[in-house]
Amino acid sequence: MPKMNMVQALNLAFHQEMEKDETVVVMGEDVGVNGGVFRVTDGLYNAFGKERVMDTPLAESGIVGTAIGMAIGGLKPVAEMQFSGFAYIGFPQIENNAARMRNRSRGQFTVPMVLRMPYGGGVRALEHHSESKETYWAHTAGIKTVIPSGPRNARALLVAAIRDPDPVIFYEPKHSYRAFKEEVPEAEEVMELGKAQVTHEGTDLTVVTWGSMYHQTRRVVEEYMEQTGVSVELIDLLTIAPMDYKTITASVRKTGRCVVVQEAQRTLGPASEIIALINDHALMYLEAPVKRVSMFDVTMPYFSREQMFMPTPKQIRRAMSETLDF
Amino acid sequence: MLSIRRFEERVLELFSRGELFGTTHTSIGQEAGAVAVIDHLKHGDFIVSGHRCHGHYLAWTVDYAGLFGELMGRAGGVVGGRGGSQHLHAEGFYTNGVLGNMVPVAAGMAMAEKRRGEGAIGVLFLGDGAMGEGTVYETLNMLSLWQLPLLVVVENNCYAQTTPLDLHFAGSFSGRAKAFGVDTGEIESNDVRELHSHFESIVKKVRGTSAPHMEIVHTYRLCAHSKGDDFRPAEEIETWRRRDPLRIEAARLDEESRNEIERQVEEIIHEAEQRARARPPAGARTNRVMEAVR
Ligand SMILES: Cc1ncc(C[n+]2csc(CCOP(=O)(O)OP(=O)(O)O)c2C)c(N)n1
Ligand SMILES: [Mg+2]
Repeated sequence: MPKMNMVQALNLAFHQEMEKDETVVVMGEDVGVNGGVFRVTDGLYNAFGKERVMDTPLAESGIVGTAIGMAIGGLKPVAEMQFSGFAYIGFPQIENNAARMRNRSRGQFTVPMVLRMPYGGGVRALEHHSESKETYWAHTAGIKTVIPSGPRNARALLVAAIRDPDPVIFYEPKHSYRAFKEEVPEAEEVMELGKAQVTHEGTDLTVVTWGSMYHQTRRVVEEYMEQTGVSVELIDLLTIAPMDYKTITASVRKTGRCVVVQEAQRTLGPASEIIALINDHALMYLEAPVKRVSMFDVTMPYFSREQMFMPTPKQIRRAMSETLDF
Repeated sequence: MLSIRRFEERVLELFSRGELFGTTHTSIGQEAGAVAVIDHLKHGDFIVSGHRCHGHYLAWTVDYAGLFGELMGRAGGVVGGRGGSQHLHAEGFYTNGVLGNMVPVAAGMAMAEKRRGEGAIGVLFLGDGAMGEGTVYETLNMLSLWQLPLLVVVENNCYAQTTPLDLHFAGSFSGRAKAFGVDTGEIESNDVRELHSHFESIVKKVRGTSAPHMEIVHTYRLCAHSKGDDFRPAEEIETWRRRDPLRIEAARLDEESRNEIERQVEEIIHEAEQRARARPPAGARTNRVMEAVR
């Protein structure tokens, strides 16, 4: 199997899916001739032409809205927002049209579109180039919010998102774009949306995380297990909404303890929902309160300070110890 | 102009040496417009700019040390080292890197100035790419409807990041302004003196009539969009390099004064950088607190 980074893996998904399905159309700022600022759409313009790989004006509201119309009309647009912080300009279109069309039309129209956007910190950029606001999207019924964590699942989830009959927000952890490579099979691979993945099975503590926090957390978990002999079950959430509460709560019923690690701000971040779901489905199995590690409730600071605000290995480790020692 | 150029060249140098991080957009090649327009403004006026704002900021404040400090993320930076290259806020100066986002805000500020009645005006700088954003047209409508004293300066450098004008822009700049009944004009120039006299009457008119105006300056950036991301044809860049605003102006000066100006500018930039470096990293105290709680 070839080894790829996330950018290459996403690019592979595009090549294969566009080859296979003529209705798939890529659009966004600088995605065509140039191949995208992060190079995710590299080579697509030459392979599929300007009708299917469209450079757009700088107009996020227009891009999202047009994509919605194209989707209603039978195409499968995959639109890119250059950074997640620019997607707010398209927010009314996502919220008022993409998310509501199926329901509002009583199922007559669906919006099979994907809105891709790089998110997250650790790349020493500026505020809206670095934030994690998956909650905005997850809070909106009618859209799915997906966050891959590595090259292989990014590829398989993007294919699933393109094929999904409803709008999918595809939140790409830009910190992991080129951070590491994984084996990605050449043959088609599709993962089901809405399913979390248990990546390490364990019995003493459940740790739930996603996106670029997954790798940091995995390293801490592996080191911790080696040093202490504790058995940790690690869950990569992959889809934020709809949330796979079954996988999470089945794990917590087994371990009785849970830590959630999110890059997002604390207040009403996905961790809040995870804790509420554990409350609903596994409360009586808990041996300790569920802990969360998160960003602080502030605007993402400039590079010189971002490390001060992002969850650190030390915090993750401490949360695990405190939960286990409770 | 020269000090903006030397400042930004130094910024790019520091980036390539790994001393600065994140994003930055320099105005190398486009400095003339910034200097020409801003020289006509008075205390009390305001400027709203976007991601490519160093030239505007420096022409307005001459605060080289503050901008260095901001880019370095140090105390003493324009906003305490917390905003970075495209989030500068100082007296009468506002930027935000989200394209088009500040356009209606500028109109609102112009409204407030109009009500205050002290004759202040605002200048909004936009790129050709930002003209794609819908807020621009909502705002042109309001500017005209409410006759607000805002001068919109469109710096058309023929590209939105990597996308050339013909792939992102339909119709004409002035046609868009005219459609809303906003006075408009255009000039293709990198000559600071020509631009300076061109904008004199425009600024006077906006101030005198308290009505909006949109002026398009056709120019070109001689630098990459950000750092090293340049995909434009080399011949095209070369053509414009011959029209470098510094070259045009330098041709008017004798060698002695050129050298003298270079020397002075070098000193200003060097001294500003040292001053910025002498300050501690931004928010050192908060960092200590954070370290303790984590
Ligand atoms: C809303 C929004 N979308 C996308 C971007 C990313 N971006 C930054 S600068 C830029 C190109 C801007 O082109 P233009 O307005 O012509 O200004 P120029 O860079 O040429 O000075 C883009 C796409 C952004 N900052 N804000
Ligand atoms: Mg431009």
